[in-house]
Amino acid sequence: METGIRVLLLIAAATLLQGCVVRNWIHHHNEVKAERQAAKDEEARAAQQQDDTDAPPPRVVDPDVERRKITVPKIRSSNVEFGLHYGALSVEDFGTNAVYGADISYHVTEDFYLMGEVGRSQAGRTSFETLGGNVQLLTGAERRFTYYNLALGYNFLPGEAFLGRGTAMPSAFYLLGGIGSVKFAGDDHFAVSFGAGYRLLPSDWFAVHISVQDRVFKSDLLGTSKLTNNIEARIGTSVYF
Amino acid sequence: MLLLAFTAPAVSAAREHLQVFVAEPYLELHTGAGRGYPVFNVVPRGESVDVLYRRTDWFRVRTERGVEGWASQKDMQRAQLADGTAFTFDLGDRAGFTSHRWEVGVFAGNYGGATLVSGYSSFSFNSQLAAELSVGQFLGKFTNGVTGDIGLTHVIVPEWRLSPFLMLGTGLVHITPKATLVVPSDRTDQTAYVGGGVRYYLTRRFFVRGEYKAHEIFTKRNANQQVDEWKLGFAFFF
Repeated sequence: METGIRVLLLIAAATLLQGCVVRNWIHHHNEVKAERQAAKDEEARAAQQQDDTDAPPPRVVDPDVERRKITVPKIRSSNVEFGLHYGALSVEDFGTNAVYGADISYHVTEDFYLMGEVGRSQAGRTSFETLGGNVQLLTGAERRFTYYNLALGYNFLPGEAFLGRGTAMPSAFYLLGGIGSVKFAGDDHFAVSFGAGYRLLPSDWFAVHISVQDRVFKSDLLGTSKLTNNIEARIGTSVYF
Repeated sequence: MLLLAFTAPAVSAAREHLQVFVAEPYLELHTGAGRGYPVFNVVPRGESVDVLYRRTDWFRVRTERGVEGWASQKDMQRAQLADGTAFTFDLGDRAGFTSHRWEVGVFAGNYGGATLVSGYSSFSFNSQLAAELSVGQFLGKFTNGVTGDIGLTHVIVPEWRLSPFLMLGTGLVHITPKATLVVPSDRTDQTAYVGGGVRYYLTRRFFVRGEYKAHEIFTKRNANQQVDEWKLGFAFFF
């Protein structure tokens, strides 16, 4: 009986002790877990700190600004010059008469430009016709002198012209050389022309010209074939656009 | 905030003219569009100018103070846009020779024995292929006339300074026999041509061009007529 009670007490003690041990173990386990968690947190904090040093500082204000967009407008070109001219043309053997026409230029560089021009004049009478009385070498329509010319222009001696005290206008001389055709005396002739001129620009889009050109072509009108020089002196105005 | 947004200046609004900023110590303004014209004003670094228009290698600009003058292409290359990027534009140099939109040129030559005066214009689809229109007048001993051609030009290697090209097209020719000849009537015939040539870059926007065209004139007679056309001239691109 006594032994039975002892055994019972022992069992009870063992159970209690075991419970304590288990309780202690659980407590210990929790502690370890907390420690590990703390270490983990520490690591994470360190990593976070590491990240923080790399990344930009936290933004106080989140800017909501659109980057300014530059739209580049097309820049207008002003290389074309259109002009009208009026002057005097000396048609070899046929006297000097009024000439009028139009020209268009494309300025390629500040030095060179390409010009196309047309013009018309009415030739007079030769001395032979004047002296001979009723002799008519050409009909009225045949006396019409019409030309076109494709030329290269070269600007030189640029400068400024002064008008009084307060006005200065850019100016330049130019040389012209070209090829084209002259319709005269009922025939088309291949013509070479060369000349020089002076351009004055009262404003940046308006110019005044004075020029002289010689139009040379071969003519066999008066029996023999000869080179004729037809000198034209003219004034003109032009606009750039 | 909302109020601020409404009262803020409309910086992104499109300006009428392009505004560029001087990035060099100063920008020189000339009285005319050429290196020979005197400098009459300078724009200091940081200030801006409005680009009004361009003539050859010169830009007409207006300063913040309202002064207008001419700035050279060379100086404008160093200017900046409002966002700090460089101001870039078509320079008209060797790269332009390789690839450009338009060509215009003038020729002198020979058309079936007659003296030829001719001009052409072409529009490039790309650096190799272009559509071309040319007109000419030939002045011969026995006949005069005018020609008009339209066709395609293929530049074989556009990068080369001396670059060959091939041509193919069609056209019209109007022939006026001189009065002394037996066949007095004018006639207009359709033509077709095949040809080739070379172009050689000179400087800036200029090049020399020489070409040969073999024309087949479809006459109303039994046999067609062949005419050779040789010409040499100079042209520019833009």
